[in-house]
Amino acid sequence: MVDPIFDYQFRLILIGDSTVGKSSLLKYFTDGKFAELSDPTVGVDFFAKIIEVQDGTRIKLQLWDTAGQERFRSITKSYYRNSVGALLVYDVCNRSSFEHIPLWMMEAKRHIEPHRPVFALVGCKVDLVGTNSKNGARREVPCEEARMFAEQNGLHHVETSAKTGLNVEEAFVLVAQEVYNRIQTGEYKVEDGWDGIKTGFNRPNGMDFNLLEAETVQSTCC
Amino acid sequence: MSLSLLLEKYDVSTEEGLEKALNEIEKEEEEVEEALSNVLSRACAIEGRLRTTSLAYARLADVRSDAQAAGDMVQRTADLARDSRVAECQQRVHDLIDLQLCSAGVEAAIRGHDYETGAAHVARFLAMDPGSVAAARARGAADPREAMNRAAQTLRDNLVKKFEEAAKKDDEASVERLFKLFPQIGRADEGVDLLARYLAKHVESSIRRNCTIANPSAEGAVFADALTRLLEAGGAVVERARTLAAGAAPARLSRALAIIQPVICGNARRLSSEMRTTRGLSAASADPRRAQYPPEPRTLEPTLDELALMHSRIYLYFAFLRRKAETDASSLEEPAKTKAVVTVHKIIAESDLMRTAQDLLGHYLTLERYFLEESVSKALKMATPQPGVTCSSLVDDVYFIARKCIRRGLSTGSVDGACAVLNEAATQLEREVAAALRRWVRSAPSDPLPLPLPPGTPANAPLDLPALPAATATLLGQRLNRDVEAQKALFLAHMSEADAGAEWAERLAAEACADAEPLFRASPAASAEGERAKFQSCAAGLAAAATAFRTAHDLALAGLCAALKPRAAAWADAIASPTVEDENEAGDALPAALDELAASAHAELPSRAADALLVSVVADITTRAEGRLLLHVYDREGGLAVERRTRRLAAWAGGGAGGARERCARLTQAASLLALERLAHVPDALRPTPRLAVHEVKDILARSGESEDGIGIEIGPRTGIDEIEDEKRVQYQDGDIPVLDINDIPLLIGTHHETPPMSVRVAQNWFKRFQSGDFDVKDEPRSGRPVTEKVNAILENVGQDRHISFYDIAEELRINHKNFSTLFKKDFATTERSAYARTVITRLIITQFEECAAFKMTWHLNTAVWETILGPCGKRDKFSNVKFP
Repeated sequence: MVDPIFDYQFRLILIGDSTVGKSSLLKYFTDGKFAELSDPTVGVDFFAKIIEVQDGTRIKLQLWDTAGQERFRSITKSYYRNSVGALLVYDVCNRSSFEHIPLWMMEAKRHIEPHRPVFALVGCKVDLVGTNSKNGARREVPCEEARMFAEQNGLHHVETSAKTGLNVEEAFVLVAQEVYNRIQTGEYKVEDGWDGIKTGFNRPNGMDFNLLEAETVQSTCC
Repeated sequence: MSLSLLLEKYDVSTEEGLEKALNEIEKEEEEVEEALSNVLSRACAIEGRLRTTSLAYARLADVRSDAQAAGDMVQRTADLARDSRVAECQQRVHDLIDLQLCSAGVEAAIRGHDYETGAAHVARFLAMDPGSVAAARARGAADPREAMNRAAQTLRDNLVKKFEEAAKKDDEASVERLFKLFPQIGRADEGVDLLARYLAKHVESSIRRNCTIANPSAEGAVFADALTRLLEAGGAVVERARTLAAGAAPARLSRALAIIQPVICGNARRLSSEMRTTRGLSAASADPRRAQYPPEPRTLEPTLDELALMHSRIYLYFAFLRRKAETDASSLEEPAKTKAVVTVHKIIAESDLMRTAQDLLGHYLTLERYFLEESVSKALKMATPQPGVTCSSLVDDVYFIARKCIRRGLSTGSVDGACAVLNEAATQLEREVAAALRRWVRSAPSDPLPLPLPPGTPANAPLDLPALPAATATLLGQRLNRDVEAQKALFLAHMSEADAGAEWAERLAAEACADAEPLFRASPAASAEGERAKFQSCAAGLAAAATAFRTAHDLALAGLCAALKPRAAAWADAIASPTVEDENEAGDALPAALDELAASAHAELPSRAADALLVSVVADITTRAEGRLLLHVYDREGGLAVERRTRRLAAWAGGGAGGARERCARLTQAASLLALERLAHVPDALRPTPRLAVHEVKDILARSGESEDGIGIEIGPRTGIDEIEDEKRVQYQDGDIPVLDINDIPLLIGTHHETPPMSVRVAQNWFKRFQSGDFDVKDEPRSGRPVTEKVNAILENVGQDRHISFYDIAEELRINHKNFSTLFKKDFATTERSAYARTVITRLIITQFEECAAFKMTWHLNTAVWETILGPCGKRDKFSNVKFP
């Protein structure tokens, strides 16, 4: 199979407590469908989708959907390293899932070091909020509080619904755009040794210039 | 009577006779006439009758076809009657008879404990046409269904009781016999449940018997063995339930499994928790590092193997179940078939055994990570460079550790587990091992490979150990020497290792992908492709590690080349030296030295690296030598000597190092120019294709003291600025570029001169401008033609050897001519000096740096002035090799 043409490949990881809706979010993003019932994720699942950022650059997102359950932690941990972006997912109707977000963020930061990933705080199941009387679901995380937390930590924040599709695409594009911006400003370099960002096939050595320059300078000084 | 006879009878001769005869004839005639009329009258009647008959015949044909149609109709009607109503009636008659028999028979059979007959009766009843029963009731018979249902219920109760008795007695034959009756009485599901319960109990006890660990602390993988036995027993019992049910009640595996599976799950859970306590893996996320005494990585291996084995056993068991589910459902139609298979998959996914497997995998991965990290850090510790150590097996060690771990990860049977181990291994290789190698090769030792100095060059200064007694000094010297040697060897070893590391990391990834194929085949077909993509994506992490190794290797190579530079420079000097030495031995010295280098490079380094190194060294020597040529003035003998030496070098490069010969072409041509007798031969020297530009040819020819055009240049008088430079040279190592600051400006422009070349302020402005990276010596942009055009025009004039004054140049270029012309005129250039000087200066102005280098040497520009001209820009290290004569 010939891979479709893209300029960059970013590797993103979805983390958060179990049953907050990571897999549903991803399923809506990749398939455009919502499954009423879904089985808990086992280990990690792997998807890919190509999107475009503002200037029309095509970006292939490699998406790693992790299992939230504790017993899969030893598997999911090993996937942090090569991720350039992390979606911190919580359930707006589940307070504790939001309270665990700092822990998830710490863990991701620790494992992705020395690279600095782009984080996005993603609230899920916003569609349940309106129907509180029926399902017994009630908003437990106010939007303002989440936004405040996001601002304090320099994250993007977005509330989504995998059922209605609200903001799902936006959540992923947001992260991709931010990563892309950081490449443009030179904060991220396309490194050969890192799987987080890779150039696509139609741009074999395009942006490696930065790296080469940096390397040679380093090697001549010693 | 015929006439002749009549004539004989009567005597016709007489009248009487004649009369008589005539009478006779007349009588006869009458008779005939009468007969004739008789016949005629009958013919008429016959004719009439014939007509009637033919009419009747025609009518009969019609009748016959009508009769045929009627017959067919009758036949068809009869057939129809036989097919439907008659058969139905007959069936119903049979049913009614059987119904009587059944209801009576069941009770009799129950009384007689002949369950087979009873069940057969019930089966017969169930197979009956409901219409028959209704018909029987309509005829006033008692409703037989009630009786039958009652009988069937009794039979079922009896069967259940009997089954349980048989189960209690462990009477397998009766169990099987009784089980087969359930489907007959229409209770197949109940039968399967009973059978499954019986088998579950059976297997439970057999598991208790066979799969308890007598001696948990015994050597070997006792838990894995016990788990294997347990799962084998489980598999056997599931298969037995399936085969038993397949005959009587097909496609009910999921039902049986739902009852049997919990027993297996419970026992597996018990085993795994027993194992955890025994092997000291208490909590789910037990990190061995947090333990009071972190275990030796080596001691963990049996536990790791055991965990992997246990996990793979569970996966095998699940695969077995999935396969059986397929077989079991094969008799069903499509939607039901998928449903049956999905039900089994769901049971598997939700079983506690699956969770046990996941827990085991979690433990395994935590431990494996610890093992990997500790083993790698141990290998690193052992490989950390120490004085006197000359070899390193770091990459070998790490490669084997990683391979072992990856294989073990694959042996768990879980793609996720294998992926996680791959990720970990890639992390370790990249972040620890490649990074360590990179650190170690960062600084190359001096003279890492032997490249002998040219004859007559003083060797490195001997170690200066004045205060020590002679014996100690020698000893210390030896020790130091040995250490230096060891350091060199180790550097080369690390470099080779970095090269090998890259290759091995890639090989690891390829091996892992190949080894993982069976895993994808074993996983459900729908997810196999996704699993493969996932695995390959993880394997790509190893390729990234390979890149890190390669970077380390390239770094080492660059360091090596840099370390050989001083020696290369010495050889460049030797080549360009105008002195004539003894022809034979001296010409061979460089090839011999390079041979030695090549031999040791090939011995110590991977061949690719060795070639790259040789090419780089040769290129270094040639470019330096080319620069050096401009430093000397050659007489004929000297030129020939230079040419001889370069030819030897080119010959060696042709044979010794592929690709290096290219690099020699320029130098060879330059040397040929020096050796020329007549200028007319210049084109010959530049064959086959001129590598040198016209101005370069001129530069070279200018160094030839006996050239016909007499443009040989004497070394100019030393100047005041040179004296300053001498002062500064004390502060800087030879060859270093001093970093100036703005306070050096007065010193630079030589304010102690009677007429300073420019004012301090102007110089400072220039300096600032140079510092900001703008080392173009044009004044601020002004309107007019573009500078490049003007420069071209000037160069054209210079090429035609016309006289151009500095003023002209400066005016043309709109530069501050005073500064430059003063500077150059005063100190370096005199009016009678030829166009050559102006050419060089013009090039200087348009910042053609290669030529500037020559210019700098030609004019003995001192470092400080040089710096002002070039500015502290990034380009200056290009000229760091330019030494002051």
